[in-house]
Amino acid sequence: MAKKSLIVKIIVLALALVLALLAGIEFWQLRHYKETIVASEDLTEVKWFSDYVPSLKNTWMDTPVFIFDSGVEGGTVFICGCPHPYEPASTMAAYLMIENLKVETGKVIIVPRANYSGSTEGMVGDAYPMFFHVSSDWGISKYRIGDRYTNPLDQWPDPFTYVNYPSGQNLAYQDIRNLNRTYPGRENGTLTERAAYAVMEIIRQEHVDIAIDMHEAEILYPVTSTYVAPSKVLDREKFLETGEMEYYEPEKSSLDVAMMAGMNISDQFLMKSAASPNTLHGLSHREWADWSDSLTFLMETPEIFIDKITGPRTEALMTEGKDEFLQKVTDKGLTYFPYDMEFGTPMWYRTGRHLTGALEVIFWASFFYPEMDCQVTWPTYLEMAELEEQGIDSVGYFLKDPNAPENKDRAFTIYYKPVGANYDKY
Amino acid sequence: MTTTTLTLILLIIMIAAFVLSSIKLKSPDISMAVAAVVLAIAGTIAVPALGSPVRYLVEGLFVNLDLALLFIAASIFVNIYSHSGAIAAITRMVVEKINNKWILLSIMGIMMLIPGALTGAGSVAIFVLGGLVNTVLEYLGISKKKRTVFICFFAMLSAACPPINLWTMLMTAQANMPYVGFTWLLLIPIVIAGAFTIIFIGWGAKPQSKEETLAKFPPKDPKLTWWRIVLPFVAIIALFLLALYDPWGLPVLGLPLMFLIAALVALLCNPKKTTAKQYLGILDDTMEQVFPLVANVLSIGVLQSAMAATGVRGLIGSTCVGLPLVLIYSLILVVGPICQGCFNYGVSIVLGGPLIFMFNTLGMDVTVICAALSLIFPLGDTLPPSRIVGRLACEETGYKESYIGFFKTLLIPMLVLGLMAVIMIIKPAAFAFLY
Repeated sequence: MAKKSLIVKIIVLALALVLALLAGIEFWQLRHYKETIVASEDLTEVKWFSDYVPSLKNTWMDTPVFIFDSGVEGGTVFICGCPHPYEPASTMAAYLMIENLKVETGKVIIVPRANYSGSTEGMVGDAYPMFFHVSSDWGISKYRIGDRYTNPLDQWPDPFTYVNYPSGQNLAYQDIRNLNRTYPGRENGTLTERAAYAVMEIIRQEHVDIAIDMHEAEILYPVTSTYVAPSKVLDREKFLETGEMEYYEPEKSSLDVAMMAGMNISDQFLMKSAASPNTLHGLSHREWADWSDSLTFLMETPEIFIDKITGPRTEALMTEGKDEFLQKVTDKGLTYFPYDMEFGTPMWYRTGRHLTGALEVIFWASFFYPEMDCQVTWPTYLEMAELEEQGIDSVGYFLKDPNAPENKDRAFTIYYKPVGANYDKY
Repeated sequence: MTTTTLTLILLIIMIAAFVLSSIKLKSPDISMAVAAVVLAIAGTIAVPALGSPVRYLVEGLFVNLDLALLFIAASIFVNIYSHSGAIAAITRMVVEKINNKWILLSIMGIMMLIPGALTGAGSVAIFVLGGLVNTVLEYLGISKKKRTVFICFFAMLSAACPPINLWTMLMTAQANMPYVGFTWLLLIPIVIAGAFTIIFIGWGAKPQSKEETLAKFPPKDPKLTWWRIVLPFVAIIALFLLALYDPWGLPVLGLPLMFLIAALVALLCNPKKTTAKQYLGILDDTMEQVFPLVANVLSIGVLQSAMAATGVRGLIGSTCVGLPLVLIYSLILVVGPICQGCFNYGVSIVLGGPLIFMFNTLGMDVTVICAALSLIFPLGDTLPPSRIVGRLACEETGYKESYIGFFKTLLIPMLVLGLMAVIMIIKPAAFAFLY
């Protein structure tokens, strides 16, 4: 009997080891997979988070910062992609911007993977696919879908409650690994807080006028399909002197710009505008405005995968967004987006929304405040919609082949440290 | 085939696998893992695009890893502390000094609330204080079943008790709300339900002879001075307070390490001569004791992952939030705890988040509703498949009779708390003054 029991235990242990090995191989593949992009010819400089916060060097939170300077005086725009890696249209939009950007006046700074560490693991317990694929004429590209949080391999353990710096506000414990809850960050804080601080330093040191944070949101969430921008900002001097948080209406209003942008694109897609609450801290649309002089905007596209209550969680669900359960709850009036599962929420649609959403903000900010004028172009929602009507994968259409001889000099591997000679040139 | 039909079939397969496995193996923990594997395989056959389930099943093991480590660390602390004779000394002192039954019950209730309030896990309250409370309640002449109910219910209350309520935290994180304003909304119903339970359990109980009870305790070790008894608790409380009030001055230690530090302090305060081999024996016994619970929380993570992947989670979540409001009011007290039994803390994401958004759409006060849901969900810790707290309470008191019998008695205080929470959900505006 004892011998039989021992044999059973050995078999179970061996099986567990095999499963661990098989899963481990997949975890390793996700962690170390390197995406490659081709920067547009307007690229002038590549920096890293560690140029702003040196202690991030050689950590999985370091990440490249692509700078496109027209050389002509104008506004500086900062675009943050992938603050939450499990919202992949944010990264895709940043990649399409970097690959196709033309800038005539001013400067554009793009971080395509702001939480690099978080992109190297999946959403634990949520059964996300590891990758999604995009077809182009020249082949198929593969991109990671990551986590909402920094990978615990890089930052662990969590506290029993997270206290945001410097507001002192209590947030959920796991938010200590959430880049968009740790702003304005701390130079000597946790890895995520240091990354948040690096973003703040980019905005401050590069004198950013317009800062845009790209996200995706569940359609059950009221702020989906929305610009979030502050109507009031913190009186920093008073806070630093007294610790008292008092807010005032700034001369330049992000919310006015967001509302104009939202109205102007309403014939293309629904984009609401919401004022950033003064009472919720750690988020980009609050803290970027409070701790810098830039106009700040957060954009949310509808992404049903985040809704959790979906059918089987396949790659197609992520890239096409067609789900019967979400249709049912939409029919009952419970969602904040006019969801139609015939159309879904495809990747091109969400990416295109970000591309046009950002351009609109830049246009209206330049219109209201001419000193911020930044003349920049990249593919738009309408261009992508037109291609889709012709049956062409519009995301793939605008991606460049990194292996084509004409692109080799501008191909960049996205990783937590420089890979390849091209980084040395910039 | 529609997604609804497909996922319904998968749900039936999962339940069948769990039931059959439970009958055959007599272990809910292994049965949950078996149900997860069967569901994942069936899901992959039905939806080949899901691919190999191995990764997400293994990923599921990490869902509750921190919780499992917390259980282990808290148990190590308690067993080392207990080995020094400190818990017996505290119990002896309590029985000696306090003569009033109601005061004694109230102190036990308040003490039970603290570990869960600080860690967010009711099971920790049982690990840390279950033995002590059981002894005191036995002295008070309370039956084994009622002792189990008292320990179980206060453990659930302690998990819901502020400052750390994990269900609230997870829902606020999902709904972009600060974790602020919940103290009184959670505490007042907990105090009312706790007071009711004390009366319910203590009513008619006749304390045993104090001398006879004291004679059962081991003789007090003269070397066990008051500071040796107090210091380990001072250490853990100091670490908590530092983490809470000086969060930027102290590196993030995490709850498991905090308990291990306290265990080290307890070890240093131990007046008995204890060899390294004896300590290894304590660690060995601790792992034996805590292993089923660790297996339980890890298994439920795997099941949760499989349910998410296959869309079974979506079926349950979308069906629940799609119910008419009247049905939600009527059923939340049943559906909420059942989902807790299935998803553990994941219920906040699967059911809590969508409900918060739904009530927000209706213009209702979601802070109050979030608190109310956070009072309802912990009640599911007594329900299968996991029934973590219920099982642990039974183990602590040695209650071996029918679980249903115990549950029927437990249902009375559960209903008191649950009904208060339902009223908060129906009329949230009336409670808004509490935050």
